[in-house]
Amino acid sequence: MSLFGLSFAAPALLFGLLALPLIWWLLRLTPPRPREEVFPPTRILAEIEKQEETPANSPWWLTLLRLLMAGLIVLALAEPILNAREDQTSGTGPALIMLDDTWSTGADWDARVVTTQRYLEEFAAAGRPVALAFSSLGARADFTPGAASELQPLVAASEPQPVQPDNLALAASLTASEVAFGTIVLLSSGLNETNAPELMAAITAKSAGEVIVVRAETLTTRALGQLENRPDVLVAPVVRATNGDTAAGTVGAFDRQGRLLGQAPFSFSAGDTVTNAEFALPVELRNDIARVEINGSSTAGAVQLLDERFRRRRVGLIAGGNADRDQPLLSPLYFISNALAPFSDVREADSANVVETVERFLNERISTLVLADIGRIPTAAETQLREWLDNGGTLIRFAGPRLAAAEDDELVPVTLRRGGRSLGGTLTWGTPQKIVSFEADSPFAGIQVPEDVAVTRQVLAEPGIDLRDKTWASLEDGTPLVSAARFGKGTVILFHVTADASWSNLPLSGAFVDMLRRIVAVSNGSVATEQLRSQTVSASAENTDASTTPQAVISLPPLQVLDGSGRLTGPGSDVRPLETGTGTAINVSLENPPGLYGTNDAFAALNLFGENAQLTALSDSDLPAGARTVGYVEAEPFPFRAWLFAAALLLLALDCLAVLWMAGALRLPRFGSAARLRGASVILASMLALPLFLASAPAFAQTASSDANAVIDFENTLKTRIAYVRTGVSSVDAISRKGLTGLTQFIASRTSLEPGPPVAVDISTDELAFYPLLYWPISTDAPLPDSETMARIDAFMKRGGSVLFDTRDQISGGFGSSRLTPETQRLREILATLDIPPLEPVPENHVLTRAFYLLNVFPGRYLDGRLWVETSQREDEQDADRPARAGDGVSSILITANDMAAAWAVEPDGAPSLPIVPPNPTQRVYAYRTGVNIIMYTLTGNYKSDQVHIPALLERLGQ
Amino acid sequence: MALTIGTQTDSDFGTGVLARARMRAALVPDLLVEAQRIANTVVSGWHGRKRRGSGDSFWQFRPYDVGESMARIDWRRSARDDSVFVRDQEWEAAHTVWVWADNSPSMLYRSEAAAVSKQSRALVLAFALTEVLSRSGERVGWPGVTNPIASRRAAERIAAEISMANPSAEVAFPATEGLRGRSELVIFSDFLEPVDNTIAKINAVARQGIRGTLVHIIDPAEHTFPFRGRTEFRDPETGSTLTFGRAETISSAYINRFRARQDVLAERCRKLGWNHLVHTTDTLASTALVAVHTRLSGMRG
Repeated sequence: MSLFGLSFAAPALLFGLLALPLIWWLLRLTPPRPREEVFPPTRILAEIEKQEETPANSPWWLTLLRLLMAGLIVLALAEPILNAREDQTSGTGPALIMLDDTWSTGADWDARVVTTQRYLEEFAAAGRPVALAFSSLGARADFTPGAASELQPLVAASEPQPVQPDNLALAASLTASEVAFGTIVLLSSGLNETNAPELMAAITAKSAGEVIVVRAETLTTRALGQLENRPDVLVAPVVRATNGDTAAGTVGAFDRQGRLLGQAPFSFSAGDTVTNAEFALPVELRNDIARVEINGSSTAGAVQLLDERFRRRRVGLIAGGNADRDQPLLSPLYFISNALAPFSDVREADSANVVETVERFLNERISTLVLADIGRIPTAAETQLREWLDNGGTLIRFAGPRLAAAEDDELVPVTLRRGGRSLGGTLTWGTPQKIVSFEADSPFAGIQVPEDVAVTRQVLAEPGIDLRDKTWASLEDGTPLVSAARFGKGTVILFHVTADASWSNLPLSGAFVDMLRRIVAVSNGSVATEQLRSQTVSASAENTDASTTPQAVISLPPLQVLDGSGRLTGPGSDVRPLETGTGTAINVSLENPPGLYGTNDAFAALNLFGENAQLTALSDSDLPAGARTVGYVEAEPFPFRAWLFAAALLLLALDCLAVLWMAGALRLPRFGSAARLRGASVILASMLALPLFLASAPAFAQTASSDANAVIDFENTLKTRIAYVRTGVSSVDAISRKGLTGLTQFIASRTSLEPGPPVAVDISTDELAFYPLLYWPISTDAPLPDSETMARIDAFMKRGGSVLFDTRDQISGGFGSSRLTPETQRLREILATLDIPPLEPVPENHVLTRAFYLLNVFPGRYLDGRLWVETSQREDEQDADRPARAGDGVSSILITANDMAAAWAVEPDGAPSLPIVPPNPTQRVYAYRTGVNIIMYTLTGNYKSDQVHIPALLERLGQ
Repeated sequence: MALTIGTQTDSDFGTGVLARARMRAALVPDLLVEAQRIANTVVSGWHGRKRRGSGDSFWQFRPYDVGESMARIDWRRSARDDSVFVRDQEWEAAHTVWVWADNSPSMLYRSEAAAVSKQSRALVLAFALTEVLSRSGERVGWPGVTNPIASRRAAERIAAEISMANPSAEVAFPATEGLRGRSELVIFSDFLEPVDNTIAKINAVARQGIRGTLVHIIDPAEHTFPFRGRTEFRDPETGSTLTFGRAETISSAYINRFRARQDVLAERCRKLGWNHLVHTTDTLASTALVAVHTRLSGMRG
């Protein structure tokens, strides 16, 4: 029996469910076990007359839980299986599986493989010989029956192929086989491909029993037709097989590195099979597109590869006359080259020889050639140009004195009158003409007609009946400004004015840029690709002249090919070079799958679909008579008996917890009944452990500490904080902390700086880069830092940090005196490993003396010790008149013996922690001021020394 | 793992009860300060004879009479005046107080809402009271164990006697044979015996002229009856059991009955001029101690 893909291996056991009402009745009748309570006033209870003894029923939810548990166990015993495999075939004798592995099957290939495997297993179980034919193989498909088990690995290893099916060859091959098949399974793509009726006929002929057609229930196959590079947009036609409901999607464009360049939406309206996605991208971006793909549709048909035809154009520029390099604005090519350079490769002539230059340009596979005022084209060059034009080249010519004077010039779109026309001159009647319109069917359509362009001279066309058709832009009097004509596949375009500003100011206008850009954008033809192929072959065969034998057979090696899922991969060994020029159409085949052929610099793209792509669905009437249609299976059979048992066990655990809870074991503990707490926690722990066992969660503990450090570091970057060195001596560290706290409060109340709370750093591990000042009290009890730590300190100081060393021993001598105290000795040991510049006591005019307060002493807890800093450089250049020394940066080291932190230290209630020696409250204020000055000095550096110049600077400014 | 609300604890005799009692007693002066805020005086008036005599407390200054011992002159007072003064003390006499705590098995009960068993609390209170009384010079005895002792270390000695004597667990009321008139009797018990028995014994004691104080120790579970669902109750003294399908249904009936017993006992005491105090074991022992102390001092607090 089967319901929603669910079936049971032992359905008889389901009758066990009938026992559930009995269980329910039993559960209702059995009262729970009473709780035993010691209770001294039981005697009083005995005096209460006994009310009717109704046993407390089990709560309904507990009964439900238990019934559910029983039901689950019964269900589990019945062995339920989701998606159970059922026999589909009924025929006898040899069987045939025809697996369609052509381009459209890439999207749901896994389902096809699963379905095929299922049929193979079925045939293997029945012992029937099976033939397996891949439709992409065409004539090479194998219809010889063999053992099903040998075919299974073949199916598992098979992949979709990016080709169209060759149904004719397949049908012929099938007809040629001598076996009549009892069962024929056709795993169809759902598309009515070319010659499908012939294949169906062959299947009908060979069938000696049943025919099963497997196809997807809804056909979502979509394909991309050949792209069209219009002037303004790149159009990607999207094709679908069924003209069903509205559907929408997006098409993505990617460059050669696979980066997304743009997305274009498309939507089918009901009844449509073709719709367009339009990429309205700038030309520059469009030229970079190498691949266009329907998003989410992983088939080879949903990909179009682009080659040179869609690439950035190469434009060659040749000018008549001497290009005056010294006066570039007078060069006729100046404006053209500047207009074209942003969106195309501009090549300029490097020699005056027109023939050589044209030959070189054509060899460089230019798509557009600009000839500015070339009157007479040499014959050799003209021959080459004509051939190039026949292949689709675009020639842009500009008029000029030479062109106007030239005789019998053939490469112009319209017949010209000799001599130019001059307007607005002293001897002419007319006034300078303005552009009146761009022709709607020309590439210039839509360009804003410039108001300020005036044409003073032009070459005139002979009037003719086709002049109007050849005109792309005309002047007010109807004469053409730009005319164009087709030459073979190519185009010749003539601007009737010069390329420089001598005849008109058109080259100076923005419209000129737009016009050239439009021309170049549409100048593709197939010339680039054709030329490319010629070049490729001439590079490989040196003795062949590409230009003279364009019809030779040309072989392009595969560069990258599409696989069945529409991905570009390296070509396999069975991919053969693309033969072009043989006169026959190139077909996509297994030997020539869609992809890029050629070299990395020059390649042609071969796509599965060309122009006018169509897809049609396989309708029921197309199928062989009597064929049965089934769908693909998606999933393997899934027995979930074990999960049901697991669920029942979970319910059992819940039941146990519930019973314990009702018996009072899980009530929240009160008044420290420790045993109850322990009991509850054991149960809680076991409950928590259950999901841990299930998920086997990884341990996070290791990363916790480093994360915490990162958080601390992050917070330190947000606020300025003063740091002190954690010496490890608790009394010293406490004073440091209190001292810096007091200083921080003082700074916050007196200045605009509001530092964060002080931070203790471990100089051997913590990151120091965040702190401007490091307060380092020297204690003989603290261990001497190792050399690695001192290297960190050295780096800290070199990167601009300052360290304030405090020997705290002024009362017994102090730093800089003749007596050597233990702290001073320890400081010397510490500093021995550092790169310390020469030191001096703070001189009278140092920035420290006036960074915030004006100070001449730097007291801490003691008064007499002096503050030592780096000696300011350029001692000899100092002059006594300057108000402050131009210290180059901040002294990286400050040394005092006055025990500053002790003077700054405050208790949480704001009272000073330690008395001042001598007990003078003013000295404490000065100690705070010293701290402020030091902080300001480290934070602002010689900015403060600049500040003292302000009066002088203002004076100089003339105030 | 304790699944029930109430448990039967081990007997607490000799295991730190005295130490805890000392602690409580040490708290009493502080508590007295607190109590003095309400009633002006607690200690000073206690058993004072309101007349001159031997004692420690100051009574009055009076002019020196010729012939008195020169040593009695209060020179500090006399220096402030022309005449010579003598400092008189108030005459104070010691009193006999009998303290007794119930030791029956029902006293060993402790529910989860209480920190200690009833027995533990009763002993602590008894010893603390002994300590306070002996500190102020009273004679304290324990019926059936010791005669009244007038010593600063009376609590310690009584505790030692009790732990050696290990009084019978079955006794629910003190042996009253040794008690003599004009003394105080303080009983700490849960009074779970039938009320009539208890009242008969109280009457007998009262007839001897003894003034009494009953401190009714109650476990919180006994007066709130927090049991729910199917419960089997067991009497720790008789061992008899009683099962109720839904304990919550008899809750109000039980509580009414329990209150009624309490009220009967209290009414009887009031008529005899005795004190009746109720103390639940989830409250602080010190509050009970202060209350007892206040009652003994004659204050109706």
